[in-house]
Amino acid sequence: MKRQRSALAIALRVVVIALASIGTVLYTGGYFPGGLVLLAAGPAYLGCVYVSAGADGVRKRLVVFARDLGTPLVAITIALLIGAIVLVATGFNPLVAYGALFHGALVRNWHISVLNASPVIFTALSVAFAFKAGLFNIGAEGQYYVGAMAAAWIGLYLPFPAIVSIPIVIAFAAIMGAAWNLIPALLKVRTGAHEVITTMMLAHTARFLSNLFIRANGGDPANSPHPYRTTEINVNTELPRFQQFMPEANFRAHTGILLAIVVALLVHYILTKTRVGFAIRAVGHNKDAARAQGISVAKITAVALLGAGALSALAGVNQVNGLEHRLLQDLQANFGWNGISVALLAGGNPIAIIFTGFLWGALDAGGQFMQRTTQITGSIVEMIKGLILFLIVARRHLFVIVSAWWSTRRRGARAIERPAMEYPRER
Amino acid sequence: MNVEAITNLLAATVRLATPISLAAMGAVVCERSGVVNIAMEGIMIVGAFFAAIVAGATGNPWIGALAGVILGGVFSSIHAFASVHLHIDHVVSGAVLNILALGVTRYLMILIVGYPGTTNPVPVGLNEFQFAIPLLHRIPVLGRVVFDQTPIVYASFVLLVFLTWFLRKSKTGLHIKAAGEHPLALETIGVSVYKMRYLGVITSGLIGGLAGAYLSIENNVSFTEGMTGGRGFIAMAAMISGAWHPVGAFAAALFFGFADALQVRFQVFKILDVPEELFIILPYVATLAAVAGFVRRSRPPKAVGSDFVIERSDT
Repeated sequence: MKRQRSALAIALRVVVIALASIGTVLYTGGYFPGGLVLLAAGPAYLGCVYVSAGADGVRKRLVVFARDLGTPLVAITIALLIGAIVLVATGFNPLVAYGALFHGALVRNWHISVLNASPVIFTALSVAFAFKAGLFNIGAEGQYYVGAMAAAWIGLYLPFPAIVSIPIVIAFAAIMGAAWNLIPALLKVRTGAHEVITTMMLAHTARFLSNLFIRANGGDPANSPHPYRTTEINVNTELPRFQQFMPEANFRAHTGILLAIVVALLVHYILTKTRVGFAIRAVGHNKDAARAQGISVAKITAVALLGAGALSALAGVNQVNGLEHRLLQDLQANFGWNGISVALLAGGNPIAIIFTGFLWGALDAGGQFMQRTTQITGSIVEMIKGLILFLIVARRHLFVIVSAWWSTRRRGARAIERPAMEYPRER
Repeated sequence: MNVEAITNLLAATVRLATPISLAAMGAVVCERSGVVNIAMEGIMIVGAFFAAIVAGATGNPWIGALAGVILGGVFSSIHAFASVHLHIDHVVSGAVLNILALGVTRYLMILIVGYPGTTNPVPVGLNEFQFAIPLLHRIPVLGRVVFDQTPIVYASFVLLVFLTWFLRKSKTGLHIKAAGEHPLALETIGVSVYKMRYLGVITSGLIGGLAGAYLSIENNVSFTEGMTGGRGFIAMAAMISGAWHPVGAFAAALFFGFADALQVRFQVFKILDVPEELFIILPYVATLAAVAGFVRRSRPPKAVGSDFVIERSDT
């Protein structure tokens, strides 16, 4: 009986994974019926939970699910409402605007949403990975440029078949991204220089170095079209496009998004199930406790920053080998900033980053579509994004403040300090 | 190099250092009150934007600069509210504000100006109000460098003196410092830590707004998206290298201004035959080096970045 049960659970799990992966591939490739397959994975998963944990487990799972989904939905709704007020105040019809926004983001230009989402998922994973160790990798943009340069450079030379060269490209870019972050890592460990400043300065450095790189690799300012570009990389180093196996897919849609999702799952695994991941989280929570446990804080700090560099570099692979097949002089890429937003929005959870990455990508794509079709300025989206971010980041405290506003009024104030209290010490 | 070239280089150093030194001194006040401020970049963008817009609309750069200062203060008050009252992690709140600044200016830019990118040049810029201080500007080299400048550059000198006095001697300044060193003690003697931290953050916002106004209507004649180019972060580096002290921050900012001035000259005069990008990155690399070299010797305020909670109990 018990054996049967566990066999059933395993079978269901296989079904869930199969449905989820097939659904993801179809849906991200622009085959909307794939969404139904993806949805079907839900009940299958609940069945899986039912077999192993009973009806109670299912109920618990549903409650957790509703709570996880509820907060962001409330935040998005409030942000959209405030955005609507701004639209009305500046003389636009919010219904028309949002109609175009959603139609563009989710239906008409879904492939652009997906294309926007994948690099941002990588940079967000990078920010989140460092954030778990209590580090703020604000210069993901620079590591993205380094990864892109590495990918564009090696892509010019690799002669091997795709199945060999693509892993080499990914590994090389990741290593170069990590190597780039060796500088802030060493400075942080050796001198205590704050990573916010060092990575930011390196981001600007990498941005300008990429211009140099482009000129050295085929970008000729004299006769090239405006964004300078390198020579095109070898075909065998390009990431496969959805069109190669799904003929109806948009011709630009490429499988970088699947790589992003796989890497997000991998990062989740590393952070929750491995020793290094545990050490990273321990250092992020409490350095002293981690040190007492025998964890080398310096080593883990370096590991977190190097890992963050590697993850951001993959965004470069995604753009160069997936989308453009060359490195463009990309002045307003902004993947670094967007990565920070997406990571904060997801609370640093790699799985949630997949969804918030899609949210950001879809908002951008929808904003562009809205601007083109209704002449309403698409940058209202920037404001909605800012509002969503603010509401999510401040949700707990906003809630506390609002509820405190209603219930308690000033009645005797007591001061406490939140971090470890500093008592005046005799020296 | 002759005296003339050196004088020009040093004058350019002071000019290019001004936005950094202003932002750095603002950040000093903010961090001394115990609030980490990485939002300087965003505050500067907001200040630069509104200074250019208002100066363009009114035709009066002084009103423009005032608008930049005030809006910088208003914008920073979001950071104050988020980090003091909402108890959000200061770095997170600052990063969100930087992002918000980009979004808000871009939206308003399209709404007010009609297109993204660069605004129309303002009719009159503050650079037209360059004036030499009588007598003092006759001092060789130093006169041209220090006493023949534009208004906001002078303002940065005045602020340097004022803030040094303010943080060392004035009661409010000492209270601000206490909020950053030992907030509980300050609260115990009956001074509100929240108020002091608000004061610190908003002061930094006002000064940051002035730094932004300098970029858009004094050093330049129009606002360009992203025109701060990381100067807010360089200012943070200057603050750290300057050991959280106005004088130190100012000196460090001069160093970065010098790197910038040198960079421009290398680029323009092609002194060495290497790609210009290697010069453009000079200030950033200099910042890295400075942070790496000085950070050990400088000590941050003890309670900087800490959350201070006043618990209201029912009993």
